[in-house]
Amino acid sequence: MASDSVGLDSVKSQILKDALYEEIKQHGSETRLFTQKDLIDLNIIPNNDVKQLLDIVQQLCNDKLLVGTTNHHAGLSWRWRSREEAKKYTSLPNDEAVMVYSIIDEAGADGIWNRTIKNKLNMHENVVKTCIKFLETKGYIASMKNVEHPNKKMYIKATLRPSERATGGPWFTEGELDTAFIAELEGIVFEYIKTKSAYRGSQPHTGGAASSSAGATKLPKKGAVTAADTTARGTKRSATEISTDDAAARAGGKSRAVFLPMPAGYKHYPTVAEIAKFIHDTGITNNTTLGEADIQQLVDVLTYDGLIEMVRVGRRRGYRVARAVKQDTVPFHKRQKEREAGVGLDLLPLIPGAEPLGNGLTEAPCGRCPVFELCEEGGPVSPSNCVYFLQWLELEDLPKAVAPSVPLPP
Amino acid sequence: MLVTKPVAELCALLIDELHGELPSRIFAILLSKGRSNLTQLAQYTAMTPRQVRHGLAVLQQHNLLFYHVDPSAEFASYEANADHAYNLVRTGKILEMVDTSFGPAAKDVMQSLLLSGQTRISDLVAAYREKIEQANQTAAIIGDDDDFGAETNGVNGDSQPAKKPGPLVKSTAHLNTLICRLVEAELIDVVHSKSFESPEDVLKTVEKEVMDKHFPAGVKGNKAKIELQERIAEGLRKVRGESKSLKRKLEQNGGSAAKRRKLVAGLGGANGVQDEDMDPALDPRQVIRINYEKCLVDLRNRRLAQYATDMIGETTAYVYGVLLKLLTKDLPRCRANPVMDAGDEKDESEKGTVCVTTEQILDNLKTSVDLSLGIGKAERRQVSSTAAEKIELYPPKKRVLIEEAEVDGEASADEDEGDNESSEESEYDSDYKAPATNGANGTNGVNGTNGTKVKFDESAAPKERRLDRPGQLRQHLLILSESTQRFVRHCGPDEWTVDFVPVMNSLREVELDSVIERTCGRQGLRLVRILRAKGKLDEKALPNVALMRKPELQQKMLEMQTAGFVSVQEVPRDLKADVKKSFFLWFCDVDRSLSRLLDTSYTTMVHCIQVLEALRQKERDVLETTKRTDVRGREKDTMRKSYYERYSRFLECERTLFAQVMRVDDLVSVLRDF
Repeated sequence: MASDSVGLDSVKSQILKDALYEEIKQHGSETRLFTQKDLIDLNIIPNNDVKQLLDIVQQLCNDKLLVGTTNHHAGLSWRWRSREEAKKYTSLPNDEAVMVYSIIDEAGADGIWNRTIKNKLNMHENVVKTCIKFLETKGYIASMKNVEHPNKKMYIKATLRPSERATGGPWFTEGELDTAFIAELEGIVFEYIKTKSAYRGSQPHTGGAASSSAGATKLPKKGAVTAADTTARGTKRSATEISTDDAAARAGGKSRAVFLPMPAGYKHYPTVAEIAKFIHDTGITNNTTLGEADIQQLVDVLTYDGLIEMVRVGRRRGYRVARAVKQDTVPFHKRQKEREAGVGLDLLPLIPGAEPLGNGLTEAPCGRCPVFELCEEGGPVSPSNCVYFLQWLELEDLPKAVAPSVPLPP
Repeated sequence: MLVTKPVAELCALLIDELHGELPSRIFAILLSKGRSNLTQLAQYTAMTPRQVRHGLAVLQQHNLLFYHVDPSAEFASYEANADHAYNLVRTGKILEMVDTSFGPAAKDVMQSLLLSGQTRISDLVAAYREKIEQANQTAAIIGDDDDFGAETNGVNGDSQPAKKPGPLVKSTAHLNTLICRLVEAELIDVVHSKSFESPEDVLKTVEKEVMDKHFPAGVKGNKAKIELQERIAEGLRKVRGESKSLKRKLEQNGGSAAKRRKLVAGLGGANGVQDEDMDPALDPRQVIRINYEKCLVDLRNRRLAQYATDMIGETTAYVYGVLLKLLTKDLPRCRANPVMDAGDEKDESEKGTVCVTTEQILDNLKTSVDLSLGIGKAERRQVSSTAAEKIELYPPKKRVLIEEAEVDGEASADEDEGDNESSEESEYDSDYKAPATNGANGTNGVNGTNGTKVKFDESAAPKERRLDRPGQLRQHLLILSESTQRFVRHCGPDEWTVDFVPVMNSLREVELDSVIERTCGRQGLRLVRILRAKGKLDEKALPNVALMRKPELQQKMLEMQTAGFVSVQEVPRDLKADVKKSFFLWFCDVDRSLSRLLDTSYTTMVHCIQVLEALRQKERDVLETTKRTDVRGREKDTMRKSYYERYSRFLECERTLFAQVMRVDDLVSVLRDF
């Protein structure tokens, strides 16, 4: 009789166990915590028998189907684990392996440092090592790299992908910031904003204020390049200079392609969402997905570089190119190709955007002089024996011996 | 002006360059020793009192000196006027500015004034009369205008060939007219007894007067203190106003003529001739000099227009230049004096800020300028007129670190109006609505090749182009007001003003940025601008924002720290102050960088002049030859070929170096004076 009731009980508890497990699964994801009250409210346990519930939960825990945790809001609570996962646990040969595996499991997508495992479990290093080795060969866990701590050996469950925090987001490839990728993408985003936020028109070649016939013709690409170049090099023209140009205000005939600023209140400056969509549509980043937040980061960097600026029109927050008129009308990637083909190698390295502004200080040798602080009349380095100045003034008759050994930084 | 070591050196060098070594030495001593009297000066300089007097006279003549006679003391004490000494470097720029806005004849008068210092009008007239007579006698002599003032120094005249034969100033009446015009523009003002006293002395006398007159029993209580301040400011203003007495007299006498001249101002000297008989004769005893403060206002206008050219485009910058000219017509100086103008500002806010209407700008634009240029075209529905026409009644508040919140509120407010509502806008706008959008479509230029669907409004026929000029002008103004630099504030329906302080701050920042970009590269600039936008930032947070590799970033930051653009602050996490655990916060102090930049600029200028001096030493033999009277003026024919080549190359270098000094001065003006 007694054995019968025990057998009946075990059958009954098996049924209850399965029922409870299935019901729990229905009620939330693997991260949801169930308190005792939640479990009773599921109405699986007859008569809300707490003792029986305890029994069944204990059995489920033994089967690794439920994981008990303590949480300071809810107190003791449980969350469920899938049967496949539970099987992994039950298939492990010893308790050490189970403990190591569970600690790695808990670390989730962030992964865990092997020394942390050792400290947390207070086990001998060798035991941990063998366990890890065993788990790795079984294919349950994998080693990973964290960007924040590149030297630490970390482990993660093999089924998980390392979190963004660990990989550093889309800008990292194998734990290294992928600057080439970023630079390339920056170029593309900048080019996109440039063409979308400025009007590509033409302007008479001779002077800004000169009037010319309306239907100005566009020059072939090559001519436009040189024209844009000369203006980019900074042919400074003040407004007053223009006003003296009155006589020269005849129709110049020649015109060059330029970018012109859009009228105030223009509503179609590209927003971050549009840029993200553009990047997505072009499919440049086929193996990394870039969210809007990532693009925002990129756009912010461009803003800090002074290449673009944020404009608010109404509630729309768009971006436009800074100093539109000074921009190169030839797309950046074409310039890059030209460079590769060997054009303009003597110029400065290619960077997107307009020629940076300069002033008197940046042009004089002093502004870039490495020994500026030391330079004084009567000192070891002085203006009267300055080699940089002689170079700058193109006084070439100096003897070669005095020529500076340190070239002036560009 | 804060006189630092490089400034003192620079001033001495400039005086040496223009007025010779004797005054330069005295000036340098005055700067280093402070206020001194004649005997002290003789002792410091190891010169005879006679020599010192000579030097002082020259300095006095050019307003490079303050003196003060204490009633109780027997001697006058002298003090260096470093501001004016520095202004010597701007001579060329001021002349060029006068040349473009008042014509070559006015420039000639200005040049004479610059060369001879403060001058009595009768002396100036006499000098010109002689010159005109001479020119009439020997009509073909070239370049006589350069000889005037040759007794001071000839070096600068060398590189300056006379453009036209015959005198630029045709008669004494013409001269009178020119002076009147310059006085009205405030570029010339009158010298009075107080102009030789240093500002501190003037302040002291005024203070004493006020105390004696109004507070014989001393100042008690806050109310009285405020009143004292006001009275002092008033007294100072009165002193300052004295130099404008001539202008006031002119305005009283010939109001109509002045008005008419204002309309044609800027069209060159040719028109000035007509006014001759209408100008009142000036009191020949008046002593006049150049008013650098007002010159600086005009120079600032030019710089700002240049800035707008760099940022937006030439046509827009031209419009901006005209706007600035109109706006600053009555602006006496770039920076308000904190003591004197405290009351002024209050008045200003009461009567509203100075502004210019679209009409006024339109009236002053050159007809040859095609306003349709320089703006992109967009369809009417692509442009939100409500956003563009937003009126900002008040100048922007001081820049806050996080500007988002503030802007958000505003944006949502005007978003409610929406685009559909544009028809419901107030009347003043509706007049301009149609031309504004037509203006955008006006030129049938090249069709848009960019991705935006730019189409042409067929109705906008080419012949309409000229007609909607006001609309085009408005477009330029709106672009200026929409720009991130806030060139212009749309302060009322069809009214425009400029908030100089924020615009100049942005210009200063741009100058700093370009120096950073040139010295530390674009990545350096990126980091500095991040710090500027975010305030202090932890070293660990920086790489994420800047998208740079950590080691590269650290190297760049160190480089910039050495250059003085950024600084680091160490904040320990706990009492132990473990370095490994401490936070390292990077930040950039813009003001400090700017003052450092200013000092670097002074030093650079000093170096340029010293390099020139070294070159002069090197080419001494050649230069001595050119000083001979038989060689002078005919260098090419009389000198040996190799010598002449060396000479011309030296002149080339001299020009380059002076030009460089001027360019650096552009930076100094932006940083310090504008």
